[in-house]
Amino acid sequence: MDLTFSEKETAFRDELRAWLAANPPSDPPRREEGEEANYAWRREWQRQLYDWGWAAPGWPAEYGGRGATLTESAIYFEELGAARVPLPANVLGLLLGGPTLMVWGTDEQKERYLPPILSAEEIWCQGFSEPDAGSDLAALKARAVKDGDGWVVTGQKVWTSGAQYSKWCMLVARTESGLAKKHHGLTYFLMDMEQEGVQVRPLRQITGEAEFNELFIDGARISDANVVGGVGNGWKVALTTLMNERAGLGFALQVRLRQMLDDLFAATAERGLLEDSLYADALGELHVRTETLRLLAWKGLTDVERYGQPGPEGSLVKWLWSDTNQKLTQLAADIVGLESLTAESRWSYELLRARGNTIEGGTTEILRNIVAERVLGLPRIATAA
Amino acid sequence: MDFGLTNDQQDIQRTARDLLGERAKPERVREHAEAGTVDVELWHGIAELGWPGIAVAEEHGGQGLGAVELSILCEELGRVAAPLPFLPTVLAATLIEHAGSEEQRGRWLPGLASGELRGAAGGVGVVPGALGADLVVVVEDGAARIVENPGDPVETIDPTRPSARVEGAGEELPGNVEAALDRAVVAVAAELVGVCDRALSMTIEYVKNRQQFGTPVGAFQAVSHRCAEMLLATEKARSAVAFASWAADADPSRLAEAASIAKAAASDAGREVTGGAIQLHGGVGFTWEADVHWLYKRAQVDALLLGDGKHYRARLAKLIGQRAMAAAA
Repeated sequence: MDLTFSEKETAFRDELRAWLAANPPSDPPRREEGEEANYAWRREWQRQLYDWGWAAPGWPAEYGGRGATLTESAIYFEELGAARVPLPANVLGLLLGGPTLMVWGTDEQKERYLPPILSAEEIWCQGFSEPDAGSDLAALKARAVKDGDGWVVTGQKVWTSGAQYSKWCMLVARTESGLAKKHHGLTYFLMDMEQEGVQVRPLRQITGEAEFNELFIDGARISDANVVGGVGNGWKVALTTLMNERAGLGFALQVRLRQMLDDLFAATAERGLLEDSLYADALGELHVRTETLRLLAWKGLTDVERYGQPGPEGSLVKWLWSDTNQKLTQLAADIVGLESLTAESRWSYELLRARGNTIEGGTTEILRNIVAERVLGLPRIATAA
Repeated sequence: MDFGLTNDQQDIQRTARDLLGERAKPERVREHAEAGTVDVELWHGIAELGWPGIAVAEEHGGQGLGAVELSILCEELGRVAAPLPFLPTVLAATLIEHAGSEEQRGRWLPGLASGELRGAAGGVGVVPGALGADLVVVVEDGAARIVENPGDPVETIDPTRPSARVEGAGEELPGNVEAALDRAVVAVAAELVGVCDRALSMTIEYVKNRQQFGTPVGAFQAVSHRCAEMLLATEKARSAVAFASWAADADPSRLAEAASIAKAAASDAGREVTGGAIQLHGGVGFTWEADVHWLYKRAQVDALLLGDGKHYRARLAKLIGQRAMAAAA
């Protein structure tokens, strides 16, 4: 057991830390300037990271990354969090789309699509979920029909983050129906978002902002060259995308949770409430959760690095993070009082946003199913076919 | 960064698991629990292997290994709820080694390390494992004393660890009691991880096999989700114990925080997981013969031993509150 970083990892961290200190992002736009201005700012930030080779250190050097190890990639996200700078704008392209193409893409696809992901020239979004296919992704209904040297797609997607800024959509659609198993007959496409057949409608969420969108696809065209991993192989390719989904991001989120907890400690101290045994107990519990979360995240990652397969931690980290974030923001309301529920308080936003955490990227209920079936080996939960 | 055990540590773990699987079977545990006795024969056996002195310095007759190795053994003994004075003895040894005078160390450690002497540790009042102990380290208001008369027997819910009511009079340990206590509670937390691990695996086995409504009850989400929660609690405690054991050996500056996290997480996990184990075993879980209750009883006692979860959460709030205020200033 050695819970320290190696010399190489420390050097990586120090180099990044020094770079972040010397090259902070410009000041963020004010809230009144709107979400688009904020997105443009994050895009600009990615360009700055890109210019110095910091947009995706985990990508292999041949694709413009640094070939960073899993640990170094985790350090990267920890350091972005610690420096309180935003994630690169094209986070889905960098974390999901790029790595999926590296596994399944043709040489032409890699050459064509990877560079503009890295430079934030082309933003990517993920067209997986549908109104009737959320946790049950394989139930998706969007259809792609062969037409000449391409495909024509019709259907509806939902929860598509960043669709309004995206050039490309990782789209999973049904290319053959009536098969015995519903995850057969799916195909993974790259769909050009800039065409008439694709309509993006922002979904206003309980925070009032619109991170997500609905996607209405009516006769959108995709060329054969934009099939990823072969026709009918969409489920496998989609799994590659999903496996990448939480790998790095968790580290940035974990650090943000830590910072929020430190801020809450400070707010509690300011109000002279640290001596209050009820608050002290609740804060102590949040500290236990936050630190065990950090440990589980690192343990899961280093197990993958050492043994090639994740331990049980992978499925536990997102569950524990989302649950802890809700508890933290709820306690903040108790400690800060009604002031925390005003529009100008950061806590009001955090309180509302945290409700999404236990739903997005796998609901807590589904995560418990996964833990029960795949980690504990319990019998499969009976489902209607 | 690496959470894995070395080959030597894995050997220790494997040896312990094999030996205890053979010699601390549930029927044997029950037999001793019902008689209110410790398994003297097994105690001599593990003493010969040097277990009680695993973390005691070689100059005092121990093996001179670290907190990680000690935690491995505590966890394995916790898995079987062994009717042995192991944890009480290593708690006494840890406190004397890290807060005792040179004279106290020389006088007590060789006997505790060899298993010739049995020790215990706790607060004034009921001390688990004190019955039959040669000395008890009593911790009260930040001071620790060596009490050579263990006091009157008292029955607790956990007869696998015969207990006594102990007074606080005795020779004081002059060293840093707080730091020594941090090391001791990591051992208690490690035992709790073993208790949780076993309670969970017994439960999984049971709900996979028990059929109702024509299906294993483990296929019902009300059951399987509780199992998942039990795993989460266990893994939180396990990771916290790993961190604290490592900090005790490699970075003592982080031990106060790490030990507090470990004891808080493990105390809560112990209660939650063993309580869940009884529930998910259904009526059977409430019977004497099912053997789940020994784990529940051990968890209840360990959760309170040398400070409960609430105590360590309050300590953490203080530690982190100070840190946050220093950072803000």
